[in-house]
Amino acid sequence: MSLYPQPASPAFGQMAYASQPYSQPMLPQAAYHYPAAVQPVFHVDSNMFRRDYMARLAELTVNSRPIIQNLSMIAQEYSRFAEIVAQCIESHIRRVLPWMKLPAFYLLDAISKNVFDPYARQFTPLVVRLFLDTYEQVDQNTRSKMEEMLLTWRTGAPTGRELFGVVPQVAIERHIWGGEATQSAASSSRHTAGSSSISTAQVLSELEFVLSQKERSVVANPYDKMAQNHVAVLQQLRKLVQAGVSQEELGQILTQLRALAQPASVPPQLTPAPIPTQSYPTQMPYPSPAPPAPFPGPVEQPTYPLPSAYSAPSYNVPKSEPVNLSGLLAPQSLPVQPTPPSVNPPISTLAPMNSITNLYNALLKAGVVGATGTPTGAGASAKVEECRPSDPVRDAIRDHRKAILAQKIKLTSADITRQRSNIVDFLYNRLPSQCKQCGIRFPDGPKGKKHMEDHLDMHFRQNRKAGQAVGRGYSRSWLISMEDWIHDGSVDVKGKGRADGRILSSSAAAAVEAAKREAELQAQYVVVPPGDEAKSISCPICKEPLKSEFNEDDEEWVWRNSVKRDDKIYHATCHAEATASKSTLASRLRNEVSSSRSRSRTPEKQQVRTPPKVLVPLSEESKKSAPSSPSTPVGTKRKADDADGPGTQDSKSDVPPLKKQALSV
Amino acid sequence: MSGLGLLNSDSKPLPADDEAAANTRQWHLASETEYRFELDPNSSLAIKLVHGQAEIFGAELAEGNTYVFGLECKAAVYTWQGCTIEVTGQPSTEYVSEETPMQVYANLVLALEQMRVRALRAFHGSPPSSEEGPDPDPDPQPPRVLVLGPGNSGKTTLSKMLINYAVRMGQSWNPVLVNVDPGEGGWAAPGAISAATITSPIQTSTPASTFGSAATSAPAHLTSNALLPLAYWYGHAETRRNPLLMDRLIRNLGENIWERWDNDLGGRVAGLIVDTPSSFAASSGPNGDHRHALIKACVDAFRINVILIVGHEKLNVEMQRAYGNRIAVVKIPKSGGVVELDPSYRERARKHQLHNYMYGRIIPPPPGLPPTNVLQGGEQTPDLTLNLAPSSSIVAFGDLTLYRIGEETMAPTSALPIGATRVVSEMQPLLVDPAQPGSGLYNAVLALLAPPNPDESERYDEEMLDLPVVGFLVITTLDIPNKRMTVLAPTQGSLVGRTAIVGSIEWQE
Ligand SMILES: [Zn+2]
Ligand SMILES: [Zn+2]
Repeated sequence: MSLYPQPASPAFGQMAYASQPYSQPMLPQAAYHYPAAVQPVFHVDSNMFRRDYMARLAELTVNSRPIIQNLSMIAQEYSRFAEIVAQCIESHIRRVLPWMKLPAFYLLDAISKNVFDPYARQFTPLVVRLFLDTYEQVDQNTRSKMEEMLLTWRTGAPTGRELFGVVPQVAIERHIWGGEATQSAASSSRHTAGSSSISTAQVLSELEFVLSQKERSVVANPYDKMAQNHVAVLQQLRKLVQAGVSQEELGQILTQLRALAQPASVPPQLTPAPIPTQSYPTQMPYPSPAPPAPFPGPVEQPTYPLPSAYSAPSYNVPKSEPVNLSGLLAPQSLPVQPTPPSVNPPISTLAPMNSITNLYNALLKAGVVGATGTPTGAGASAKVEECRPSDPVRDAIRDHRKAILAQKIKLTSADITRQRSNIVDFLYNRLPSQCKQCGIRFPDGPKGKKHMEDHLDMHFRQNRKAGQAVGRGYSRSWLISMEDWIHDGSVDVKGKGRADGRILSSSAAAAVEAAKREAELQAQYVVVPPGDEAKSISCPICKEPLKSEFNEDDEEWVWRNSVKRDDKIYHATCHAEATASKSTLASRLRNEVSSSRSRSRTPEKQQVRTPPKVLVPLSEESKKSAPSSPSTPVGTKRKADDADGPGTQDSKSDVPPLKKQALSV
Repeated sequence: MSGLGLLNSDSKPLPADDEAAANTRQWHLASETEYRFELDPNSSLAIKLVHGQAEIFGAELAEGNTYVFGLECKAAVYTWQGCTIEVTGQPSTEYVSEETPMQVYANLVLALEQMRVRALRAFHGSPPSSEEGPDPDPDPQPPRVLVLGPGNSGKTTLSKMLINYAVRMGQSWNPVLVNVDPGEGGWAAPGAISAATITSPIQTSTPASTFGSAATSAPAHLTSNALLPLAYWYGHAETRRNPLLMDRLIRNLGENIWERWDNDLGGRVAGLIVDTPSSFAASSGPNGDHRHALIKACVDAFRINVILIVGHEKLNVEMQRAYGNRIAVVKIPKSGGVVELDPSYRERARKHQLHNYMYGRIIPPPPGLPPTNVLQGGEQTPDLTLNLAPSSSIVAFGDLTLYRIGEETMAPTSALPIGATRVVSEMQPLLVDPAQPGSGLYNAVLALLAPPNPDESERYDEEMLDLPVVGFLVITTLDIPNKRMTVLAPTQGSLVGRTAIVGSIEWQE
């Protein structure tokens, strides 16, 4: 079974995967950007690296998320060899059989999105030819997968812009969707009267993309009514398009789809410079010199879409017609997405938006919307049973309970030896998805899928962190305080749920904190005095040499992970550690071990536990004999008197279900 | 597997396949059989699941991964539906058995799971559906299980399996595993009793980390390798040494678990499993008295509602008589795979455990296998993350306050009637002066305690008995003329002004 892409999820689950790292609160984005510098220990030369990377790539014959993650991680850690990585991947893709090409493209995609710099710019010069050549050679199924991936590239850069820049993006899209089919909504609308040809395939492809995005939102938040409505309408729309609609409607649908598809994090683009249609904005998503136009297409073609076309539906006449698809899709009249101001004054011949009424009428004819035409009807009148994931979490729990209680087993010595259970069902069959790295299984269904994806991302992060031992390496942590132990179960309630949906343990929280602090320390640097670039300096604490590297932003040599104190230069991490150890253990513990405490503790609770029950005669005895214990409050502060055993205790613990709980069922 | 294999690539050519091949054989296991192995002290073993489904004490193996075992590990690969495994290395014993009690364990697992889903249903306030039938119990409780049995009966393995199956149900259960066997030590160190919440299956790799590991600063792939247990220091391997102290610590643990569950009712419905020392089952001999008190302490403290007796008819009868009217007492067959362990093995396991606590422990794969690309305890890059750096520092005698609980040389309690004057001193903290010859501190394992209540008015004499452990220390040199000592600690941090307790556990690297 291929774990990486579930067939139903386009772009190998990369949408969530790709959009997360940049907003992932647990993962400071900065951590992505200086991996090479933190590898002082290992010396790998480029030839060796090339050989090793090629060998590992050869294993990427199927769509294996773990392999892709590992290869991405290596790429990230050895970003100084980015050029080699790019060459390896390109030659691998060109060399292998058609059915093995897609996984390698997913790798290219993953590295470009997640590490971004310098990889996106390494791939930019070669991605167009590579994509198109590959596209020629693969079967239809793979092609549509590639198209889905291509759509994610539109907003794949951390800025929400084209992953490889607008020129390659357009070049590829034009080529595979033909002629002007890739035009922005604006330009395609403009052409509705004339020569435009938007293929049904393209619209369907984009529709699937948006649909999968919305389905993901439903998975992430089953209570997101708007997303549920979107899913319903989009599913209907798909049928409609499949049944055949006019060019004009295709154009309109495309426009609306793109409005719906834009990432929430698109920064507003505030420069409304009137750009001649021919030229491209200078803001490439990365600060490298613009690559030579990789696609020597007909340059005279003046209808390249403007960059905003990908991120915003740029109509100028928003109030002219209230009934449009986005209104339809957002019956509560909430804005579907924040619409960034358009960069360019859209073409003045833009078709009036009321042409959307055609689409609406089409939908009406197809029975998607109610005859009353009230927008609120859209979500409701869509086939509810088809699209409403009622409450998958609760359903799953109920389902499990039903199956478990159907087992007629009593907890007695005789009964458990008599029966033959079908435990395999519960341990294997009902949990069909398995993590190939650690063997943990997940149920089917949206929640299980989400858990599994988060779980795989956790592996990815852990793998990446494992190589980043600093200073003296790792050590056993102190145990957390009693208060933290008691309260760590409630961290989840405070909204700091762990990625895999389980309760965030203090250790996980501590690890997150530690990773953050470490990233901050690693980011510190000392500028190398001019002339000292070749000088070898060692950290006075660990005696390891400090690593110098060229800081491209400021164009100067720096020692990474360094601080200067009293004219000596230390590893920032070593120095921090040494400083911390000077302070008391208590404060160190506070800082390091228990990051969750401030959130969850009640202030009046202190370290001291109430003395537990001791046999009463004994307590009396010890009071008398202990020399200095006149006020020993043995037994007086006890909360529960459990001398009566389980029966009475349970009644005490039978508090009604709380407002505060980890399970939201 | 690991992307970090590169790091080791500087010189080493790929190992000769011949060597691995000569050392490797495949086993085809029929459904419901298990491959059992035992290792000699200095050998290691690698097992790869080639095909099918397999698990070790309830933790499933991932196909294609190579798992490494060492330090006299004795374990079994069980398969419900058949599998092929590839074994590299030379175990001292290996064979396939068709006789396992796994069907019984499976029934047990499902019966406990029924308790969980009923408790969860009640917690949600949902009424039973018609097909589920009325709830037999108006107040359904999750399973809180006490596992009892004599030595070498497989209690610990059963406890681990029950926990692993619970977390594998796909329900995000997070049951608490409690270890009250101070000889075992759980995740902490021998001499301690402890409890931890488990959310991912506990792997088996070496006897140094039977129940998974306490957290390190390294990233971990399984939460069972990054546990933050709550631990109390008893200080001895044998429960009879100071039963009253044991009693008190057990109740401390229980009280904290319940307080935790007061804040986390969702966690409470997953229940708990308590692994116990074999002395609890020693039905005869001079120490029979204290064990009833300690079993009672467990039943009370953890509000036990299921007692499992592993392979011990007489104890079963005894427990039925004492608790059968209010607690389900269930007899469980012992697995034929359980090996008789001599006391020196336990001694070595404790030593490994402390070494593992301080330094971590990397098991070198058997000859012929590359050191990378193996999983140890489920961790993918053991060479990076299981190699730990403790901290050794010199501490002036006055900087660390040391106590012993009870008299230094204590006659066996059995020599005294229970409740006699002796008990006073059993619970009394006694200051230890490192400058005194014969302090017994050299190579002693100490438990560093959490700080006492900062509010003076809240303090009480025996407070230190109720303070949990934050870490374990070992005194590696004792320099009496200069009044200082060298202390090995798991990680850095000042010990000045702190309190530590000495017991009878010693460790020498
Ligand atoms: Zn995993
Ligand atoms: Zn340093």
